[in-house]
Amino acid sequence: MPEVKVTTRRKTTGKREPKPSVDATRIAVVGIPASGKTTYFRFLSGHFGLNLPILYIPSRADNGSLPLYGDLENDVALEETTYETTDPTDPEGSLETTTRYYVNRPMEDRRKLWVELSAGRNEQGILTKYPLPTKFNQFVEMKMRFRYAAPGGEAGSRPMELSTVDEAGGIIADYFTYDRMWLDSVDGEVTERICRVIPHFDSWRPDRRDLWKRGLTLLGRFVCEADAIILLLSPGLSSLRDQAQQVNLARGVFRYTHSRNLPLVIAVSKADKLKEFYSEVEQSVRERTFRSTFDSVDFLLRRDGAGMGTILVAQEGRGISTKEDVFLISSAVSTGEGHPLFIGESGDEAPSSGVETMGVPVMVNTTLPLARACERILERRATKGV
Amino acid sequence: MQNEAEDASVSPIRERNVLLLDLSKSMLAPLPDPQGGGPDRQKIEVARTAVFRILQDAAADGTLFGMVTFTETVRVPVPLGEIHRENLPYIENLISLLVPSGRSAIWDALGVGADLLRMGTNGVQGNLVLVTDGWDNASTRFEVRTDPKTKASGGQVDLIPYVLPTHSRVTLRIIGIGSGDERDKGVDTVRMNQLVGQLTQRAQELGLPPAFSFQLVTTGTQLFAQMVNAFLDVGYEDDRPIEELHPEELARHAANAARALKEPQQHATVSRIKSAQAAGRATTPATYSELAEIEVDFLASGPGAPPAYLKERYGPLGEVVEAYLAGQLDRALELIHRTQGFLPAVTRLYWEARIQYARRAVVEAARALLQAWTEAEKLPAATQAPILRRLAVLQARMQNDKETETLVRVIDETEHHLLNRDPKTRDRLMDLFAKLMELRGTYQLTRLAGEGDLQDAAIKHEAAVEEVFGLLQDARLDLASEGATVEGALDFIEICLAEMR
Repeated sequence: MPEVKVTTRRKTTGKREPKPSVDATRIAVVGIPASGKTTYFRFLSGHFGLNLPILYIPSRADNGSLPLYGDLENDVALEETTYETTDPTDPEGSLETTTRYYVNRPMEDRRKLWVELSAGRNEQGILTKYPLPTKFNQFVEMKMRFRYAAPGGEAGSRPMELSTVDEAGGIIADYFTYDRMWLDSVDGEVTERICRVIPHFDSWRPDRRDLWKRGLTLLGRFVCEADAIILLLSPGLSSLRDQAQQVNLARGVFRYTHSRNLPLVIAVSKADKLKEFYSEVEQSVRERTFRSTFDSVDFLLRRDGAGMGTILVAQEGRGISTKEDVFLISSAVSTGEGHPLFIGESGDEAPSSGVETMGVPVMVNTTLPLARACERILERRATKGV
Repeated sequence: MQNEAEDASVSPIRERNVLLLDLSKSMLAPLPDPQGGGPDRQKIEVARTAVFRILQDAAADGTLFGMVTFTETVRVPVPLGEIHRENLPYIENLISLLVPSGRSAIWDALGVGADLLRMGTNGVQGNLVLVTDGWDNASTRFEVRTDPKTKASGGQVDLIPYVLPTHSRVTLRIIGIGSGDERDKGVDTVRMNQLVGQLTQRAQELGLPPAFSFQLVTTGTQLFAQMVNAFLDVGYEDDRPIEELHPEELARHAANAARALKEPQQHATVSRIKSAQAAGRATTPATYSELAEIEVDFLASGPGAPPAYLKERYGPLGEVVEAYLAGQLDRALELIHRTQGFLPAVTRLYWEARIQYARRAVVEAARALLQAWTEAEKLPAATQAPILRRLAVLQARMQNDKETETLVRVIDETEHHLLNRDPKTRDRLMDLFAKLMELRGTYQLTRLAGEGDLQDAAIKHEAAVEEVFGLLQDARLDLASEGATVEGALDFIEICLAEMR
């Protein structure tokens, strides 16, 4: 587990100070609550810090080499800043911020990465989820720094930044779903009046309304500056309301990226929950010679892998290609029986019980959406001459 | 002027109605009811039935309502104002206590009714309905002169210019009871026609549209039918009001309903609802106007006692419903058969189908419902849509089609709950529902299209969804404070949209 450093500072004004200028390209990750944003960030930073292996399904002809690198110039792999309203009744709207820095360091027991980062939230320690008194009074900005080099490029790699507003899946879903709230500039503000486009907004507690308004404004400014968006979709949602929320978010993100001509990449997270996909993962781990030819596009469009076949078909060629820009990923594969799936030193599955064995969690396709987003950003810049 | 125009756009002018009810002793006399086959009913009993119904409508659609009763004395038991639903029981109790006695001061009552509708320099504005069975034999303030050119006798005021001053917009509908063949004398047809004639002439002189009529009724059934032309329905025992649903239950309902939109082959009934929407909106609330439109009402029916005053409010149809709710299905069937000739055919056939279905006589129920559909198709667009929806709910029940039933019920309940709200709000929501129904077409194309056309169909469907979603957002912003019914309807539409993917 990367080392964690925590600093705390208090701000006395409601407005957040401008983000320190980073000469980096920014990619925003969005998804509904529990769509896997935290896990995606934690495991990707683990990958860059600890060189964790990634499995590709279908298998890649290039042996999985992607021009993605950890940022050696920066000690910090992942930065998480928690914004917490200390007193919701304070007219000044004071916010206390706490920043955690995840630093690249090898750890003693690699298994802990899975246990600490992707177990059920009740089992997680203080390091993996935020010590929240309530989810309604805070949100967390996450930034992961890495580098990307265009394949065959001569200019070397360039700094990139992957960002999200974590613990704010509801805010993200609302912001993209209801286009009446969208901000056109980094100085814009989502007003209380326009927040009423959110169902039942007026019936919420005042402090929750206030935090939501702040969060929407923060998010609106944040995505205003984004160079690309990665949309995380969670398959197999049991709640009909969650399904509706995710579909509305997806449609909203399509509208948003169309209107701003932004590159969009879709990652269907937790894909190991999909039976057909899991069986490919399992076979790939058990048989080292197995070369998966799993047809992701067919699965997504015709076998309802993401539950939005018609929507994806409608978007084909209108900012995304279902073949090149939609991925099934799993940042922490589970055996489906409450156990993680580990790969041992040999590359085969490591036993998860009995005598303690070395093994690392299996990540599937996790870097692909990121690499594709970077690629599309550079393509767009080349086309536009930026 | 500009301000007035703006005000009018914000708050539409509501209908103003005043009922003038004769309470002279002769109203105790019975009216024959040969067609109904039941016992004779007193005129006052039949008139009360209609008043109950009119009050119910006034409470539902927010029109202003007032009532004047008259013997030799004129009284105003219900001043002109908005009837609130919670006050209905008190007003109805008051009306049930009205006992006829004495003579009739018809002209004085008309004068007081006009006063209730008077709006300063704008004259008299509104509708008067006079129900009487006699002659004017007790007026002291007003008179209707045989020759309008003659001078006043005894200081009495000429009723005609008093009721119809300049700038007025007033209608008068006279329902006269009895032809003079009964034991009591009956209405003074000559004088009533004279009154209508003089008012019409005065209106022509002032350049106002003539809107005065006199109708004679000689049986209880006719009197009831003159005042009440209804389609009534009650909820089913296992119904749960939409606003009582937990959000996850609402989501499940919406998802179910969306299936009715997505799978038209399995839910053919929905297409009838769509045609009703296309034919015209049923959002204009029914009032006791002169149009022969059917008034549509829906009463919730819980596990407790049946709705109060069913018989009093709805007359023979109320009796049918009362028997049905009490589980006396054979009696209910007998009663509904007796209503042939005066109840609207669609109402009678619907209730016949419903009773037969409850009796498990499925073939008879289906036959009656089929005929009811045919009758419903003949109705004017304004009343057709809500009736078609009630037929659709029954048909869905008979076919165990939960998806269609849920969809139709939500639309129906929403419209019913919004009856006494701003018509613009109601129209807006019903428009959204109509657009949701139209999405069936674009969605179907995505299922039927061949490989090459699939993307084109999907793009069109997504564009249609996007358009409805935009309208939904604007409705959320504009109707943010309209309460649970509006919020529930918008939530429902939003989830349905998400389901159609």
